Amino acid sequence: MQRQSKGQASANARAQRGPGAAVETKKRRVRHFYDYSLLFAVIFITAFGLIMIYSSSQYMALINSLESDYYFKRQLMIAAAGLVIAVIISKIDYRIFRLRLFVYGANIVSLVLLAATQIMGIASHGRTRWIEVAGISFQPTELAKASVILFVAYRIWRAGFKINDPERKEVLKIYGWILIPAAMIASQNLSSGIIVVGIATVMVFVASKNSKPFYIVGIIGVLCYILRYRIVGVIEAIGTGTGLLQGYQMERILSWLYPEQYDAYQTMQGLYAIGSGGLTGQGLGESLQKLGPLPEAHNDMIFPIICEELGLFGAVSVILIFLFIIYRCMLIANNAPDLFGSFISIGVMAHISIQVVLNIAVVTNSIPNTGVTLPFISYGGTAVLILMAEIGLVLSVSNRIRLES
Amino acid sequence: MRTSRNNNINGRNGGRGRNTPFAKYMQEKLAIAVIIITLALFILILVIYNLIKNNSEDYNKIVLSQRQADYVSKTVPYKRGDIYDRNGNKVAGSEQVYNLILDPNQMFATEESISPKNVVDPTVEALCNYFGFDPKELTDTINSRRDSSYVRYARELSYDQKTGFEALMDELNDGYIKSTDPEEGIKRVRGVWFEDEYKRVYPYNSLGCNIIGFSSADGSTGTGGVEQYYNSALIGVNGREYGYLDDETNLEKVIKPARNGNSLVLTMDANIQGIVEKYLAEWEETGPESKSAAVVIMNPKNGEVLAMGSTNSFDLNDPRNTDDYTEDELYELGLKEAVGVYRRENPDEPAITEEEVPGYFSREEIISYGTQVAWNQLWRNICVSDTFEPGSTQKPFTVAGVIEEGIDKPTDSFNCTGNVKLSDGVHTWQINCVNRNGHGWLDVTGGITNSCNVVMMNLAFNEGEEIFLKYQQIFGFGDYTGIDLPAEADTSALVYTAEDMGKVSLATNSFGQNYNCTMIQMASAYCSLLNGGYYYEPHVVKQILNSDGAVIENVEPKLVRETVSQSTCNYLKQAMFETVEHGTGSHAKVEGYHIGGKTGTAQKLPRDARTYVVSFCGFAPVEDPQLVCYVVIDEPGEPGPAQANSAYAQELFAKIMADVLPTINLYPEGVDAEDYKAPVTVLPDSEEGMNDIPMGETAAETDENGEPAATSGAAESPAVQPSTAAELNGGADAPDDPTVEGEGYGEAIEDPGEQDVPVDMPPGYSEAETYASTEASSESEGSNTTGDTSD
Repeated sequence: MQRQSKGQASANARAQRGPGAAVETKKRRVRHFYDYSLLFAVIFITAFGLIMIYSSSQYMALINSLESDYYFKRQLMIAAAGLVIAVIISKIDYRIFRLRLFVYGANIVSLVLLAATQIMGIASHGRTRWIEVAGISFQPTELAKASVILFVAYRIWRAGFKINDPERKEVLKIYGWILIPAAMIASQNLSSGIIVVGIATVMVFVASKNSKPFYIVGIIGVLCYILRYRIVGVIEAIGTGTGLLQGYQMERILSWLYPEQYDAYQTMQGLYAIGSGGLTGQGLGESLQKLGPLPEAHNDMIFPIICEELGLFGAVSVILIFLFIIYRCMLIANNAPDLFGSFISIGVMAHISIQVVLNIAVVTNSIPNTGVTLPFISYGGTAVLILMAEIGLVLSVSNRIRLES
Repeated sequence: MRTSRNNNINGRNGGRGRNTPFAKYMQEKLAIAVIIITLALFILILVIYNLIKNNSEDYNKIVLSQRQADYVSKTVPYKRGDIYDRNGNKVAGSEQVYNLILDPNQMFATEESISPKNVVDPTVEALCNYFGFDPKELTDTINSRRDSSYVRYARELSYDQKTGFEALMDELNDGYIKSTDPEEGIKRVRGVWFEDEYKRVYPYNSLGCNIIGFSSADGSTGTGGVEQYYNSALIGVNGREYGYLDDETNLEKVIKPARNGNSLVLTMDANIQGIVEKYLAEWEETGPESKSAAVVIMNPKNGEVLAMGSTNSFDLNDPRNTDDYTEDELYELGLKEAVGVYRRENPDEPAITEEEVPGYFSREEIISYGTQVAWNQLWRNICVSDTFEPGSTQKPFTVAGVIEEGIDKPTDSFNCTGNVKLSDGVHTWQINCVNRNGHGWLDVTGGITNSCNVVMMNLAFNEGEEIFLKYQQIFGFGDYTGIDLPAEADTSALVYTAEDMGKVSLATNSFGQNYNCTMIQMASAYCSLLNGGYYYEPHVVKQILNSDGAVIENVEPKLVRETVSQSTCNYLKQAMFETVEHGTGSHAKVEGYHIGGKTGTAQKLPRDARTYVVSFCGFAPVEDPQLVCYVVIDEPGEPGPAQANSAYAQELFAKIMADVLPTINLYPEGVDAEDYKAPVTVLPDSEEGMNDIPMGETAAETDENGEPAATSGAAESPAVQPSTAAELNGGADAPDDPTVEGEGYGEAIEDPGEQDVPVDMPPGYSEAETYASTEASSESEGSNTTGDTSD
């Protein structure tokens, strides 16, 4: 694990090359860390995701009159490109992104794109999450997640311990700022809005010394969750009374609580897939649910297919790999040279873990059905590109960690 | 991992701003966050574990059953057997067509397709552009059947339409897939497929409609003709396409192929049938208006029916077309039928009259009943289902019995004084001859050639009821012929038995009045006279082929019984030849052939209506009869003595025979086969349809419009009428007699007053006559057709 970056070493060597300086160079040479295990874990889970996409999308591709490996090929190309981008970013010093101009620029761009999607959506009389930039369709929500990570990390880095000021000005400012993109996203896609707020919350939680409000909110949340069957009536009354919850959202809540009565087709099919997989699964490629009954089998619903084909064993393996990635992010955050780097790491970790938890919670019907993809595995070009870029940033942070010699 | 760290590990002395280190409390809180995340993931693993532990088996079953149900098991339809004429022309076939099936469930299957503009709209647009459907209606259908996977939207599409649309679908989808516009890129044409089906096609439309019949749309049942009689041979067994899960839960697709129905080869010759129908149509168009005309042509050597047609024809491809009836006519028919329906449905209630019908049935119901009546009228096979009094065509059988039994010799002579008087002490009957003035002394041959009733009555008196009825039975009268066509009339109650036959009925029976028979009975009986005394069962199917075309059954001529001896047959052939040569049948002569035959002019009930059935049963060549052709015309022209003119039938016979004989390689004398210029081929070209030949539809049209008076009615064609009538009635050598009134006997009764019907009827006979016409429309069962003469 304690490896040195060859490029870095040779660069240093080149820089300090001179007559008689060789011995001294060796002594003073700074060795930098590079988290290969994170990189390989990401490569591994992406490759695994590609296999699962191939397995689960064949049928859908044929239904849509496409080549059977259509989705696989597309995702393969994007994932490969993403990997290249990640490696390139990891070799750039992340600190050049510490510029106010860059951080705010990225946020403004993502806000503009979000606004553009909404306007286009209104123009075409429907909700849309896509925007076309130079012939490539693109999901601005994913970009917004990354830019929010950068933004919050930047604010925390700038604030330092000022974040703990008694008036909580800085915390409120951060929330104030991120609520703009979060609201814009939530208007189209509630779960992505929640993810954005969730990422910021994890970052602020780690940064601020005072944790009481977080714990209070958390405990209330857990209590509500435990008592969900009892308070659903109250929620319905308040939600529909104030107009906070739209009709279809209330229906989703009800079909989450009573999936069989409300004929929550997709949810039930997902559960059938998970249940029928058993401990060891039907075998890779042997899923029956992907052949029609389970919609979005290569997308939001890929996890049930993993369960069906590889069983509890496969599901636990996937979760463990995610845990490993989360663990690596934590280590990098702990050792990053500055708060910006730490909180980039924490933000990316929060992003990945929130999506993993939400996705698995949705498919096991632990929370109401909402469209959340499984990072690195679910089909989707923008998500993979952004995640890879984020991993690139984390690797770049890791690369700035100086090893003690 | 040992790393060098910046200063200020704990945040207490508060490094400010950019150089703030990652404080200890931050590390702790990060650890808490990671622990919470880990905990959440472990809880989720637990949830999955519980799900698997508790539901694995149930969910597995659900998944498997869903999978199996998901694989729609499809019926592979069988192909109903084809029908060929004796020369191999396909007269009925099954054509593969395609039904358009919509699968709305599939159209809404994916998240993208929830928005109608992605799948439903492009699909509707493609369907409407290609097939010209109404977009609104189609969209409504799809939306209202969202959960269905099987909506049959269009039927009987051709192969070209099917493949054309499939190609269009591929092309559009290719375009959408390649499109760079994301709006276009996710569009698809989806959820449309085609289902195989067979459609029954009759290439010659109405040709041979009564022999062939027609089948239901799904090809499972036939109505009329061999389609009905041989339905069980024609149908096959549907196949199935289905999936099952094998041991390793792999879905196995199995196709159990359909077993196609057997094909039939008819004895019918489409050429001869075409000729028959051509002249029947010509008769209907240019001849005097008649109730109906019908022709049966048989091969006397084996009982094969070569042609069977009537003016009562319909288009097999459109059998339910009642355009020939006006709505009022249908309503009228429906009124009568509704009375019967009411009686059947409410047997305990008092019957209603036609006037009361509208109080019980709606106009639509009445018209629907009327339509059914009209269909049954249209589809009725006159030659097999209708009975009538045959008239003088009976005479050869009367003679055959007498000669066969040796009661009289052909040379025995009888004096015809113009009538015979019979008396039972209370009533007196005078039964007239054709020639009221009497033929004078005639031998038996003369009796036939002159169609003398008196000679026949004397012969019958000589042999007695028992022998007469024995020969009626031998020649098949009163019995089913057993022809392989549905709805053969039951004539058993329409002939006399030894118990109820009196002298008057014997007398009238001897010249073919007062009992009923069907055309097929008469034609079959003639066959046995002409082939040396063998009565073969008449039949219309020659062979049954399996779906590969191999013969699985040859229908051999079925000898029912031997009738009379060869010498009797030879004598009668000669006598009938003379009838045509210089007797009453002279109009039946065909130049260059030796034709034999016997005329018939039967007076219908009620006798005073003076309506007649004229007929001619002839054969050729006399030396070795190859064909028997029986022509019957019901009420040609206006009622009255002029109707009693068998020349109509004879002329129709002659025209048909002149065309038919060359088709079986019999050419007129003195003409070599090579030199013979065949008449224009009559078999219609199936590709072109039958439009150039005035049959079927054309004929029906004329019927509906009613013939203009100029061409109908004997009175309007004096050039033919008086002379033929005289010749016919009086015989060739009889002097013209303006008082001759026909061959009938009905008004010859010197009635003491009480009786309308002159003779002792078999039970149910006279009643049958009155209700037969009302019942004629109901399912053509023989028992219902009693007494309705040749309608």
